[in-house]
Amino acid sequence: MKLERSDRGPLLAFLLPAIIMMVVFFVIPVIYVVAVSFLKWNGISAPIVRGFRNYLLLYKDKAFARSILNNVIWALVAGFIQVPLAMVMAIILSRKPKGWKFFRTVYFFPQVISGIALATLWRAIYSADTGLLNGLLRAIGLGDAARDWLGTIETAFPAVLIYWVFYIGYYMVIMMADITTIDTSYYEAAVIDGASDFQQAIYITIPLIKRTSLLTCITLASVMGLRQFEQVYMLTNGGPANTTSTIVLYMYKKMQDSNYGLASASAVILIIVGVIFIVTIRKLFEGRGDKAAQRKAIKKARRALK
Amino acid sequence: MSENKIHAPLHGKELILAILRWILIIFFAVYTLFPLIWLILSSLKTNFEFQAMSPFALPKVPQWQNYVNALKVAGLGRMLLNSVIVGLAATAVNVIIASMGAYCISRFRFKGRERIFTLFTAGILVPLNALMVPYFVIINKLGLYNTYGGMILLYCAIGIPMSTFLIRGLMDSVPMELEEAAYIDGCGFFGRFFYLILPLSRTGIVTAATFEFLTCWNEFVFANLIVSSEKLRTVQVGIRYFTNQFSTDYVSMYAAIVISIIPSILGYILFQEQIIAGMTSGAVKG
Repeated sequence: MKLERSDRGPLLAFLLPAIIMMVVFFVIPVIYVVAVSFLKWNGISAPIVRGFRNYLLLYKDKAFARSILNNVIWALVAGFIQVPLAMVMAIILSRKPKGWKFFRTVYFFPQVISGIALATLWRAIYSADTGLLNGLLRAIGLGDAARDWLGTIETAFPAVLIYWVFYIGYYMVIMMADITTIDTSYYEAAVIDGASDFQQAIYITIPLIKRTSLLTCITLASVMGLRQFEQVYMLTNGGPANTTSTIVLYMYKKMQDSNYGLASASAVILIIVGVIFIVTIRKLFEGRGDKAAQRKAIKKARRALK
Repeated sequence: MSENKIHAPLHGKELILAILRWILIIFFAVYTLFPLIWLILSSLKTNFEFQAMSPFALPKVPQWQNYVNALKVAGLGRMLLNSVIVGLAATAVNVIIASMGAYCISRFRFKGRERIFTLFTAGILVPLNALMVPYFVIINKLGLYNTYGGMILLYCAIGIPMSTFLIRGLMDSVPMELEEAAYIDGCGFFGRFFYLILPLSRTGIVTAATFEFLTCWNEFVFANLIVSSEKLRTVQVGIRYFTNQFSTDYVSMYAAIVISIIPSILGYILFQEQIIAGMTSGAVKG
């Protein structure tokens, strides 16, 4: 549409609210955390410039190191265990077995229930005396294995991490949308050549979604793994002995202590680790020279979604 | 695909694969549903039944009283109302602002248009949790700490990139010729927006609204951050206090959790298409 001179005013008026929101709640806050990360500030008295001291403090703090480690483990498990599981289920359900719509709906449930409600549910499941998990173990005669899952150092982090891994609905649905755009003639040709379902998945489906939805899901899952907060906050609040802490929880606690400088420095680290993850995953998946093919495939997927 | 195949009896490898496939399908379904069913069953037991009997035993008499307790003790009525007020207001404002912005980006060519769109898409990728400190400070500076307004403003803002993206996608698909015809007929900037583009990109707006409302409804981190008054607690913030409020009355607490997740499940079943479209199209773009 050509822009009429008389349309300039209305155009600006229409764009302005959205731009103001973006500037106030995205641009300024990002600049703000970077700036505050160099200060010693409790939110009330005058801030003191500290240079890189906050970062040095983070570097020395064992609790922060543990938080980063937990986040990295979380991101790797999400990207390289949860997403492959989701991919297997996407391949299976896109063959439309009996009741596939029902299963797709069910698998997606955890995505619409709030993280805090799910965490509360799982705290009840892991509970030492009234929990479902211990009840299950006792019922099948493994009562000895029953324990306080979230209160024991060895089991707390695995327990917090594992329950989430089998909630695959979100990534599965994304990959299913992609798989349904694959030209069926590929499969028809493969069937004529006598390829089994398994071979079709390995040689047709996976290579075709590898650089599109699979890459997207691994990126998304890792990034979500880095941002974890509600789960640990609700299940363990970082304990026992900081073994389940994450970067965002660490930041939240520093903020509660009114140590805004240190909180902001950990936020900056979170953003940086996130960027490193996204870039590395992209590099891993992108061979040389197939950027154009990827763009094409993404376009195709997008068109299919509309 | 598989529909074209002749259904001969399976044997050997294929049989094993078929069995494996169904084991996986059922495992994931049970994994998702079983905890929820256990939660619902527990919420209908007496505390004695819940603590002393097997977790799989059915309640002798369903204890609907637990639900009455839950509503009373937790003040769930008020929290549900707060969540609805904040969610609806934020969604309305968000969708209005986003469709206005999307209209400009989608239908007009002007200087800085690309840069503005990049700003919006980058917003989707920012880890919002990292911005807790600035959000807390901004809301305080605006005098909106402990107000509906603060929550509505923040929710509306953080949803702008996603909503603009979703609505723009639909507006892009409205043919330019239609708008040009309307223009030649003397229809102005606002006329074309209200009578032509808005109605034609309805589905995108509904998707964005559904997605935004669900996000608001389930949001915990920021509601917990910028609201401390008990009167303003949303459902998600309320859940945090259940353990203290109910102490050892487990069954009523479970009833409260059930009540707090019912709206999400109901909403999902009603708006399944929009929710899935909203969540996946944003992702494919990322």
